[in-house]
Amino acid sequence: MKKILIVISLFLSFNLAKAQDLVKKIPANAFTVATIKGDNIFKLMFVKDFNESFLGKKLLTETSKSLDKSFTSIEDFGINLEKNMYYFNQLSDSITYNCFLIPIKDATKLESLINNKENKFKRDGDVRTMILPDSTSIIKWNNNMMYFVTGSISSSFFADSAKSARYGIKDIRFQNDDDLAIDSTVAVAVDSVAVAEPMIEEIPAPPIVKVKVQKKSTTKKNTKRTIGTKKTGKKKTAKKVKIDSDFEESREPREFAVDTASAMTPVHGIVDERYDAYQQERAEQDAKKKRLAFTWMTAQADQIFNGSYESIENNKSYTSSLDNKAIAELWVSSLQDVYNAISPEFGTYGKAGLMKGYGSLNAKLFMDNKSFRISTGLELSQEQADSYKKILNRKLNKNFLKYVNSEKALGFMSYSIDTKAYLEEFPKLLKQTYGSFLGAKMDQEIDLGAELFSLLLDEEAVSKVIKGDALFVINGLNTKDVTYTTYEYDDDYKQKEIVKTKKETLPDFLFMFSSEDTRLINKLIKYGVNKNYVSVENNIYKILEKKSPIDIYFMIKDGIVFFGNSLTEMQGISNNQYNSNKLSKLHKQLLSKNNFSFLFNAKNLVGKVPDSEIGGEETAKKFNSTLEKMGNVYMKSNPIKGRLVSADISAEIPNGHENALKYLFSLIENAAK
Amino acid sequence: MKLKQFYRLLLFIVLMPFLSSCFEVIEEIAMKNDGTGDVALTINLSQSKTKLASVMLLDSVQGYKVPSKQKIQQELNEAVVYLKKSEGISNVKSTSDFNNYIATISFSFKDVSNINNITKNILALQKIKATNTSSYTYNKATKTFNRKYQAIGTAKTEFNKLKAKDKAVFNGATYTSIYRFESVVTSSTNPASNVSKSKKAVMLKSNIMDLINGKINVSNSIQLSK
Repeated sequence: MKKILIVISLFLSFNLAKAQDLVKKIPANAFTVATIKGDNIFKLMFVKDFNESFLGKKLLTETSKSLDKSFTSIEDFGINLEKNMYYFNQLSDSITYNCFLIPIKDATKLESLINNKENKFKRDGDVRTMILPDSTSIIKWNNNMMYFVTGSISSSFFADSAKSARYGIKDIRFQNDDDLAIDSTVAVAVDSVAVAEPMIEEIPAPPIVKVKVQKKSTTKKNTKRTIGTKKTGKKKTAKKVKIDSDFEESREPREFAVDTASAMTPVHGIVDERYDAYQQERAEQDAKKKRLAFTWMTAQADQIFNGSYESIENNKSYTSSLDNKAIAELWVSSLQDVYNAISPEFGTYGKAGLMKGYGSLNAKLFMDNKSFRISTGLELSQEQADSYKKILNRKLNKNFLKYVNSEKALGFMSYSIDTKAYLEEFPKLLKQTYGSFLGAKMDQEIDLGAELFSLLLDEEAVSKVIKGDALFVINGLNTKDVTYTTYEYDDDYKQKEIVKTKKETLPDFLFMFSSEDTRLINKLIKYGVNKNYVSVENNIYKILEKKSPIDIYFMIKDGIVFFGNSLTEMQGISNNQYNSNKLSKLHKQLLSKNNFSFLFNAKNLVGKVPDSEIGGEETAKKFNSTLEKMGNVYMKSNPIKGRLVSADISAEIPNGHENALKYLFSLIENAAK
Repeated sequence: MKLKQFYRLLLFIVLMPFLSSCFEVIEEIAMKNDGTGDVALTINLSQSKTKLASVMLLDSVQGYKVPSKQKIQQELNEAVVYLKKSEGISNVKSTSDFNNYIATISFSFKDVSNINNITKNILALQKIKATNTSSYTYNKATKTFNRKYQAIGTAKTEFNKLKAKDKAVFNGATYTSIYRFESVVTSSTNPASNVSKSKKAVMLKSNIMDLINGKINVSNSIQLSK
């Protein structure tokens, strides 16, 4: 029985520890959330190793120096390194909050780090608060977490005099007496109304821009109290900000004095005087804005610490973007919403709805014993996702794979789309993305354009000529002799022009695309031959372009159109003698499984370029050693899952390194040497 | 994709990073005993012709606009026109070979001092600030030929401001000067210079990088036998 109790209590405490992850503290309406996953990072590298690394040492000595203390480990900062650190921001039409949530292990260590003579912190029970000089940011912490918030007022919001007047703030401009006068009356009028109404004590926070939150069905009811995301009457309550009463009282008379003074100055009065008055006025207004921002920030910080509100954990888009193995993550709630939120800043150009159909964006960073990997994803609207699914419903022509030689290839790039679907879906996508930009009035015109597009193009016929898949591959380097002119001097220094040869190393490239119907291409070739743009020999065509520094050949074989600069390669393809079966597993996977892939294999370049061409032996040595250290770098698109399109970029690490993080540190150390 | 676009893309990805750039600048002055003479200037970029052919297909490279063949020809013509108008200069000729990328200008002068400032002025015409001061004098009485060369201090600092990629252009570049005389050379003060077997010509070959860095000075004082 006792054992069971212990197990249960252990289980509970484990759960409790889990639950303490600071993600709980991030409001559901956060716009951006960035996470650094301490536990995953320090799995790759012990804290001790970090302290002894070049970067770690630099960090420790620099902080020691600037704070006049001696730190020997990053653990001395009091941060809990085994937990996740978060950054998030909240946007509204009037203020943007940038916030950090840092897990704390030892609050006293943290205090000794940030406390100094000029900056004492206040303690209120368990919670300690410190206001940074200039009142632009607030730090709040307890024994488990630290919260840092800094807010910036949106200038476009307060440029709207009707809105800013509600907060007793005027938008003033130099040499605009009329505006000043009008502004002040508005301000006074609204203020008196505001005073007449009962003061709202409760939530002095500005409205946060509404973000569609997909709630999990399991959401508990009591967590639904939000900090201003209540969908009804949200704006009303939030706008009535409680401003310090002394601030309120002292403002009116002073303001009046300045205004009357400036109003009584003759129009042709001394500009300097007016400018001074303007400057003073402006400074006052700025101070007001700052105080307002501070009031809002204080409220926001209190809310994070003591309030209860819906956490981002209930946001399905956010939770589904997470990956246990990532060491850092970034999530942006919705491109559409971000755009709508910031579009007022663009003025008349920022028509709402430009990014229509684009949902949340996420990026994740992975490091393991083989590679670095960045994975990015973008949520689309169902309609868009369906369009893209149709477009991407094509695989690369399998016959292409014969022409990739993994042992020699420096790199390749491939893509495959369904041309027919693309041409059909293109007008729709265009309309979705830009339709609102052109305004509702243009709807008909856009429709008409889309119809015309379909009418003029026979999608089916086009897709037969260009099926939509292509591969560009560099199968190694080739050296050729190039002649050049230089001079020789005889015993009497008489100049004699001579022709010398030198070797030039150039990559051999091959570009291919599939075509079912080559009639049009054949006609084009025939035209080219007639006009002497193209010459032909054994079905291999050569482009006769005098200006081109290299020869380019092309041909059509088995429904594939080939371009290349190596005649031998082209002949090999033509005679079915091209040595195939040299495709590695990785290359095969990349090419055959993805709609888009890119690969660069630096190792195949090592020592292949003559020293003289890189600029001497020394440069060549550096060049080659850099290349040697690089593994494969590749990019690929993943299949669409649900409404999510995603792509990965990976960089393999060279052998002899434990993992990517340690390799990164060694790179930094080498670079700093 | 148009063929031209295809070429551009190809050049960018494939060719440009692999090609080296090298060029030669040759200056030849033939002095007669009476103080008149001929000058021939040659710029030979033939060693980089593959790269140049690629570059010429692009609009700009490494942030610099690529001049068209016509533009280069026009500037060369402007230089010729300027020379023809210059005092003491006659017999101006120019050639340009866009297959091998070699350009030459040659002319005759009444007195070697006529050519002082010419380079500077031609460069100024193209809105390029000269990076050195160079002057020639010939004393008929003493039969001494002097070249005074002073690298302007700012040249080096200006050069160092260039990106490493741009600096690399000068890596293999050379500057050769040849002075030819009717009389025998008895002494040549520049230790880097060589006197020909016939003792009637002096040659100095240097790296343009060394010139810019001030490692080499091409000043010389040549004494001819009386």
